[in-house]
Amino acid sequence: MGLDYQLVLWNKQKKRYDLVLFLFIVIYLLGFAVVTFTTNANTSLETLIIRAFGSLAILMLHIILMIGPLTRIDKRFMPLLYNRRHFGVLMFLMAAVHGVFSIIQFHTLGNVNPIVSIFTSNLDYNSLTNFPFQVLGFLALIILFLMAATSHDFWLANLSAKTWKALHMAVYLAYTLVILHIFLGAFQQETSPLLLGLVGLGATIIVALHIFAGFKEVKVDQAKVSEEDGWHYVCSVEDIKENRAKMTTCAGERVAIFKYEGKLSAVHNVCRHQGGPLGEGKIVDGCITCPWHGYQYLPGNGQSPPPFTEKVETYNLKLVGNKVYIDPKAHAPGTPVDPIKI
Amino acid sequence: MLKSTLIILIVIFGVYVLIGFLFGLYFIFKGAKQIDPLIAESKFSVRLLLFPGTIATWPFLITKIFKK
Repeated sequence: MGLDYQLVLWNKQKKRYDLVLFLFIVIYLLGFAVVTFTTNANTSLETLIIRAFGSLAILMLHIILMIGPLTRIDKRFMPLLYNRRHFGVLMFLMAAVHGVFSIIQFHTLGNVNPIVSIFTSNLDYNSLTNFPFQVLGFLALIILFLMAATSHDFWLANLSAKTWKALHMAVYLAYTLVILHIFLGAFQQETSPLLLGLVGLGATIIVALHIFAGFKEVKVDQAKVSEEDGWHYVCSVEDIKENRAKMTTCAGERVAIFKYEGKLSAVHNVCRHQGGPLGEGKIVDGCITCPWHGYQYLPGNGQSPPPFTEKVETYNLKLVGNKVYIDPKAHAPGTPVDPIKI
Repeated sequence: MLKSTLIILIVIFGVYVLIGFLFGLYFIFKGAKQIDPLIAESKFSVRLLLFPGTIATWPFLITKIFKK
């Protein structure tokens, strides 16, 4: 949230996150170099850089793709999600080092333009065993560049959240290209079966996590609601923890019902910033705080506290005994609704 | 035939990037402010950070500037 754009949105937690990432990268690269020179002292520096940065980028991409479903399965993984954007940009930079050094080593020695050389030095596009796998890596790198280049909040605001999200879903296409790049490259280059096995295992884990998290969400969305005069029964008051929310689905939309200061309020679950799940956040300083990037909304009217302007839909609630009911008809974003007292 | 097609596609890609580069220079100095007033309040380093994204998304940005 801000009245201008910052170069990098850093706070104490994000700095710690980035420091851990930086240390991880340094330790991985040093470790890779030590193992490589110990096992094969003749390895050239260029080859070491290509392999070290390439394998690091793949490892980081796997972790990035696991973070989303892991947080949907278990909220304890939420801190990993908090600064995934920086993780993604760093992963692109590692992939870019791998790509640039590969182009220098394999495509700059002749008199053909290096980019043209990537696509035309091997025209065996019909072959599985001799496929020009570097083309796949290049295309994946273009997609990762597009995502890293549009990761700033400016793009989110100006491309619209829907377009931005759709654009960033291309990470799955990039991942598929990377996997094909590795496996098709393995037919032509000296590649360790251990590496191929690890990549195969990684892909299996990513697919399994997405399927499992998807089933979990479908279960919430399809949970049967009992109706009473148009009001949907949600849960007992005791089922909602203080300063936390209970999520439900009304007319196909996810809604978060918050309990705070002896009151209950309901707002649409989707944060206006980046589509984060407000119901997985908590009340901080009297405001619903999105777990992804800290965007805040007042529970009584779904509006960000002044001078900010983001708004989410609000809902009417009623309490019968200790049973919480919700009117599934949403109010326009930012409409004040009196909280119900417990 | 395949080689010629690939070279044509690479040239188109190169032209796209070149136009994006030239438009990017205009965008970081003037265009960004036209579509988002918050940029005027931001440091110039933020606009420089937008440059790579501008190269990638220039057709969208030009459309947005004309609509404004």
